[in-house]
Amino acid sequence: MSEEFSYLNQLGSDKGDLIKGLQLVQSREGYVSDEAICAVSKHFSVPEAEVEGVLTFYAQFKRVKPGKYQISVCDGTACHIKGSTQIQAWVSAELGIKDGETTPDGLFSLVTVACLGCCSLAPVLSINGKVYGKLDRKGLTRILNEYRKMK
Amino acid sequence: MPEIQFILDGKEVTAQPGETILQAAEKVGIHIPTLCFNQKISRTTSCFVCVVKDVKTGKFLPSCSACPSNGQVIESSSPEVREMRRTALGLLLSEHTGDCEAPCTMACPAHASVEEYVRAGRKGNFLEALKIIKKRIPLPMSVGRVCPRFCEKDCRRNIDGKPVAINEVKRIAADLYYDEYMEELPPLNGKKVAIVGAGPAGFSAAYYLREQGIQSVLYEQMPEPGGMLRYGIPEFRLPKDILRRELAHFQKMDVEIRCNQKLGRDFTLECLKAEYDAVLLAVGSWSSSSMRIEGEDLAQQGIAWLGDIAGKNWKNCANPGRTVVVGGGNTAMDCARTALRLGGDVTVCYRRTRAEMPAEANEIQEAMDEGVKFEFLTAPLSLKKAEDGSLRLACQRMELGAADASGRRTPVPVPGSDFEIAADTVIAAIGQRTVVPEGVPAAKRGIEVDPADLKCAGDAPVFAAGDCVSGPATVVEALAAGRKAALSIGDYLAGRKHEEPFVFNVSRGHWRSLAKEDLVYLRKISEEERVKPEFISMEKRRTTFEELFPSIPADKVSKEAERCIECSCTAKGDCFLKKHATEYKVQPDMFTG
Amino acid sequence: MANIKRIKVGTASCGLAAGSGAVLEAVKRNAGNIPVVEVGCIGHCYAEPIVEVECEDGSSIFYSRVAGTDDAARKIIALSDEGRFSIPEKRASLEKNIVTRLAGRINPVDLAEYRANGGFEALKRAFSMKPEDVVEEVKKGGLRGRGGGGFPTGMKWSFLAAKKVPEKVLICNADEGDPGAFMDRSMMESVPYQVLEGMLIGAYATGATKIFIYCRAEYPLAIKHLTLAIEEMKKAGLDQLAGREKPLEITIKEGAGAFVCGEETAMINSLEGHRGTPRFRPPFPTDSGWNGLPTAINNVETFANIPPLIAMGGEAFASVGTEKSKGTKIFALAGDVKNPGLTEVPMGITLAEIVYDIGGAEKGSVKAVQTGGPSGGCIPAEHFDVKIDYDSLKELGAIMGSGGLIVIGKNRCMVETARYFLSFTHRESCGKCTFCRVGTTRMYETLERIVAGNGTEEDIAFLEDLGPKIRKGSLCGLGQTAPNPVLSTLRFFRNEYEAHVKDHVCDAMECRALVDVKLNTDKCIHCGLCIRTCPVSAIGPDFKVDNAKCTRCNSCIEVCPKKAISRVRKGEGFNSSISK
Ligand SMILES: Cc1cc2nc3c(=O)[nH]c(=O)nc-3n(C[C@H](O)[C@H](O)[C@H](O)COP(=O)(O)O)c2cc1C
Ligand code: FES
Repeated sequence: MSEEFSYLNQLGSDKGDLIKGLQLVQSREGYVSDEAICAVSKHFSVPEAEVEGVLTFYAQFKRVKPGKYQISVCDGTACHIKGSTQIQAWVSAELGIKDGETTPDGLFSLVTVACLGCCSLAPVLSINGKVYGKLDRKGLTRILNEYRKMK
Repeated sequence: MPEIQFILDGKEVTAQPGETILQAAEKVGIHIPTLCFNQKISRTTSCFVCVVKDVKTGKFLPSCSACPSNGQVIESSSPEVREMRRTALGLLLSEHTGDCEAPCTMACPAHASVEEYVRAGRKGNFLEALKIIKKRIPLPMSVGRVCPRFCEKDCRRNIDGKPVAINEVKRIAADLYYDEYMEELPPLNGKKVAIVGAGPAGFSAAYYLREQGIQSVLYEQMPEPGGMLRYGIPEFRLPKDILRRELAHFQKMDVEIRCNQKLGRDFTLECLKAEYDAVLLAVGSWSSSSMRIEGEDLAQQGIAWLGDIAGKNWKNCANPGRTVVVGGGNTAMDCARTALRLGGDVTVCYRRTRAEMPAEANEIQEAMDEGVKFEFLTAPLSLKKAEDGSLRLACQRMELGAADASGRRTPVPVPGSDFEIAADTVIAAIGQRTVVPEGVPAAKRGIEVDPADLKCAGDAPVFAAGDCVSGPATVVEALAAGRKAALSIGDYLAGRKHEEPFVFNVSRGHWRSLAKEDLVYLRKISEEERVKPEFISMEKRRTTFEELFPSIPADKVSKEAERCIECSCTAKGDCFLKKHATEYKVQPDMFTG
Repeated sequence: MANIKRIKVGTASCGLAAGSGAVLEAVKRNAGNIPVVEVGCIGHCYAEPIVEVECEDGSSIFYSRVAGTDDAARKIIALSDEGRFSIPEKRASLEKNIVTRLAGRINPVDLAEYRANGGFEALKRAFSMKPEDVVEEVKKGGLRGRGGGGFPTGMKWSFLAAKKVPEKVLICNADEGDPGAFMDRSMMESVPYQVLEGMLIGAYATGATKIFIYCRAEYPLAIKHLTLAIEEMKKAGLDQLAGREKPLEITIKEGAGAFVCGEETAMINSLEGHRGTPRFRPPFPTDSGWNGLPTAINNVETFANIPPLIAMGGEAFASVGTEKSKGTKIFALAGDVKNPGLTEVPMGITLAEIVYDIGGAEKGSVKAVQTGGPSGGCIPAEHFDVKIDYDSLKELGAIMGSGGLIVIGKNRCMVETARYFLSFTHRESCGKCTFCRVGTTRMYETLERIVAGNGTEEDIAFLEDLGPKIRKGSLCGLGQTAPNPVLSTLRFFRNEYEAHVKDHVCDAMECRALVDVKLNTDKCIHCGLCIRTCPVSAIGPDFKVDNAKCTRCNSCIEVCPKKAISRVRKGEGFNSSISK
């Protein structure tokens, strides 16, 4: 296995941990590259096609490198009822990217997710795991500007 | 472990432990359709085409995986289960793309396997091509010359230029092997059918009846058989020697032809009914429609005029002089070009513009090339005799107004635009009607039949097919109708209910909705140009009735066939989706829209 | 004035999202030597960030919506009267905190504190009984699975217990896939030991030797707390069950974002490292589950119910609830209510009590509630007097589901709501069964067409025809329930569908394709905020909203200080595609 993915060795080679292996890769690399698939395939002795089959099944896995700040707009029921469609449109308009895309400067990427479990604060979004609730138009711009400043 | 007893479609069935409902059903002859099931791989239970109903729980189970339990009551053939299977198939099809059959095959009214005979032609195997063609087109010499080529109009190669010259394959295949090829026929079974009218529909019926072992006798009012092929279509489009060769083949097939026999004059329907096991009316559509103008009687009737000339074998006919042909269909073109060849100075008057003309585009072009003049947007008002004995056709100019129900724009008169054309001959060629024989039910377009089996109402086995049912149409449509009548009569005589085969087809869509990039098929697109026929000299075209062009030689046609990209699915022969969808009568668009 | 014993700051996900991180910092900075601890969620999420001041005399003072400033922290420590929060009496009288008794009141990861509050007493009691008697006790309690299906837990356990094999598996379903439900998250974050104690009792009763907790990856805090709690438990030797040679194996597995993995057989596939597609049953998991071993799966809340059930005994447990649905249920209340959050109520409470009395929704402002998420249905306000249990909800075409309860206000469009759920299910369909994979897609497309104003009456008939077939022709619960949101809205709100297809009108003004945006010049003060905010420059210097350009994003409506801009019916705005 290539040096790059040697951290996979911290897991056993039990096939039941295949998903865990992919999660480990993604937490390290931010996404799962072709090389990573190859490494995971070798580590668990599972054909590459099967690794890819498993990987594409789960929404969590990304095949392209995401932005520095990953924005997840919640479109769970509560957020939807509270206007998450609008939030999505606003984020898209502010950043000029659509669901699943990354800004050209690599700063932000945008995905829609189903429920962050903070329904009581709907509508919510999270940026790199930090949840922001009770969003409105002004609040959203403020939050995005904060991240823009941080670079 | 003990065996399991359960009820399947009301039958007591025994299953071994571990056996699925599907397997148990198969053993008692109850067939359950499956798609995703494969003995060799683990059970996927994905397609749900194999559903059965557990009556006690009301649940639907995939029979490929569900094992029966003792006392279970399972339904596999109830309407509800069938509906679920239909839905599963319909849903699968709503996501399905591709072409089962090539569009040419689908476009052919006779549903000839176009792609297959073109392929045989490509390989130079024209005998094989002819065999395939004759499965649906028993008069390939004629059709190879006069067909308006439905297949070519839908050919995907239209996207990047010209369609494959399909009809040339048919023509050369017939030219080469028609006389030689003799189909294997079953022995006659003693049944006999009378066919009134020895035109394309009649011959087609006779052909496919014979293939079922049924003999037929054709009754023809004219001195020679062939119908429109003989008396309508002029010699320069279909030489009659060729037609005679083509029809001679039927004698080898035990078909009897009785000419100069007119229904109502020489025999009656009643005596046919008494003498034969069934009667087929295929009398065509021979009566010209009226122009509904004053002086109508002074005009020639298009189809009758063509028939007269044909009766004289295009020899020693008078020069029609200044000739005006009224109409824009194929008959009008045939009249105009015949009159021209007889020395006439010909003008065609048509109410709309060239774009709306029902005649085939190539025939209009050929007529123009030969020197026929056209007056578009011109409608006749009246016809009278001038003092010098010649005719005066009063006309008026038209302009195109709003579109009518059929989408064609209606011509409306331009006030004060009247003018006169002087003529020696005026030919009305604005359409034909069927004269429905006495004692037969009539509908709007002709003889009334049940569209499912082409049988006329009543107990007697009287059927009808061809132009006399549909109104004037094409040869290939008449052949298709004749075949359908033959199969229907065959079923009737065998005591079976006739059912139209359910034609299932998935299509990627008409070529107009596709781009060149979509043409990704197994064969790559050839850059060659479409083969062109070599017309006889213009001099000959203007003055003689010689055939317009000789058949394109076999080697050139084989090369032309290289241009075919073979749109149809390679799996169409053993596709389960298609098989089940056909069995369950599911159309691919069940769930679209 | 009472002395402060310690200060508790709620830092569950809901608290953190509301800003309790800063509050915690501020309180710590100002607390001197008063102990400050982080606790979970008490369910009053609408009031977050919440700080509880525990006094020496045993009393407690709550502060709500606390700001993360030193000033606010100092005021709390001074036990200021400002910002105090007490649970509304009416709500308190309706709630019954059996399962959530400790949630938000104790330090979630402190084993000693859990023990001091009666934790692991139930386990001790279980160990004093024979395993089969524990199963009997659970049966007596009448506990039904809280994960959605409502299958009697005791019965499920007895199937597993009956398998006489050396290795058996118990799985805790912590996938909480219903978007809009968060009680499982809250329980894992706030009382992880209680959930784990339930599992230990389950393993003891059923003979399970291996436990998996399958938790969705979107819940990092829950995973963290569970991981810490498991370590502590192991240190304390709690994973050693009575009468066992080897300690119990407990493994946390993170989900990877697939709703269908909440389904039992799909979860087993996922745990084995495969694509999470459901399996055909039989064999049932209790016969052949994870790696072929007998396996039982229970939901987080189900496990959280076990310690109180065993502690109080089945009979006492069963004294709460309705005839067929015993005990309490935690609902995650969200949507158009004043007080969203978690509420534990006895089975048999009415929807009206939950929505109006607990949720604080104004009567007349509510159109319906949605229960059961994408598998459930909408219940209109006329039926709010129904006593909630598994069976009554089913009769109304909805389901109990996992306990997500979304309140839908009068200003929401039910067709759009149905479209939303179908967009979820058709996306989440695992792709295995034709009916579910293709059928939900066709239904979704039809709904898209309807909300886009291009629907026809045939479309409604189509939905009504296909829906029941998808129910019948799908292997797992996802497909079997996917049409519910559509069929139930069709049942109760058919008029809205008809208005969309016949008149092309969305009365709720929600469907973008059927509305225009209009600025009321009488109210406008020409401040220009809307012009600057509009992302597509649809508002001209004359303060007219050009509906040909407008994307109906609502930005201007939100920023207008005078509420001069609003949505109007299509055709009523300037430069609309339909002119009037
Ligand atoms: C599509 C689908 C998704 C499900 N998602 C969950 C879930 O997220 N959490 C859960 O506890 N149960 C879920 N269930 C229900 C489980 O399959 C199962 O019934 C439950 O975990 C059993 O535990 P219980 O008996 O304790 O409720 C889901 C079922 C289906 C069909
Ligand atoms: S054959 Fe049974 S589900 Fe496909």
